[in-house]
Amino acid sequence: MAFCPTEASGTAAGRRYTIRTLAFMAGYVAVNVAAIFGAFDDVKAPGSYALALIVAAPVIGQLWATLKLIEESDEFVRALMTKRMILASGLAIAAASAWGFMESYAGAPHLPGWLVYPLFWGFFGVVSPFVRSTR
Amino acid sequence: MKNTLRVLRAERGWSQADLGERLGVSRQAVNALETEKHDPSLDLAFRIAVLFERPIEAIFENPHHKSV
Repeated sequence: MAFCPTEASGTAAGRRYTIRTLAFMAGYVAVNVAAIFGAFDDVKAPGSYALALIVAAPVIGQLWATLKLIEESDEFVRALMTKRMILASGLAIAAASAWGFMESYAGAPHLPGWLVYPLFWGFFGVVSPFVRSTR
Repeated sequence: MKNTLRVLRAERGWSQADLGERLGVSRQAVNALETEKHDPSLDLAFRIAVLFERPIEAIFENPHHKSV
């Protein structure tokens, strides 16, 4: 889902980002595999809320890894990543909001809220080739 | 911002990675400076000036020079 921008690849910050992302994604896969095989089927609220947050934790962790990449990179990569993240966030928020209103007023099928996370990274990938300058 | 970084670097036989290491930035950042895709912060500009022992305006062309 997430990827290391080419501008950060080969740098120490980029390597740390890759390791952190792989670790969080491994946790995400493990929790979801457990859920698919029914590990959480008999859990009721409030425990089910806690389990849902456990599933969300690696996603939050991966976003933290991305913010750390920005913090640990040099000024060029930091500015480039920040521009791309702002654009991708704006597009993801706009798309999620538009779909929400279509659900409310046009009977569009319901989509789970967590889809905004892969949607954000999809937009990040789309905007990245067009954002290659910090100016 | 137009600059003479590529020439100064070539005079010393440094690669972009070499220059990046001396400045504490990535090779990609040096490439972005040379291809005018990134304007350096004042801090980085001063580091570059110290490294090449020249004033900043001898390395980076002041785009506001005529209008000031």
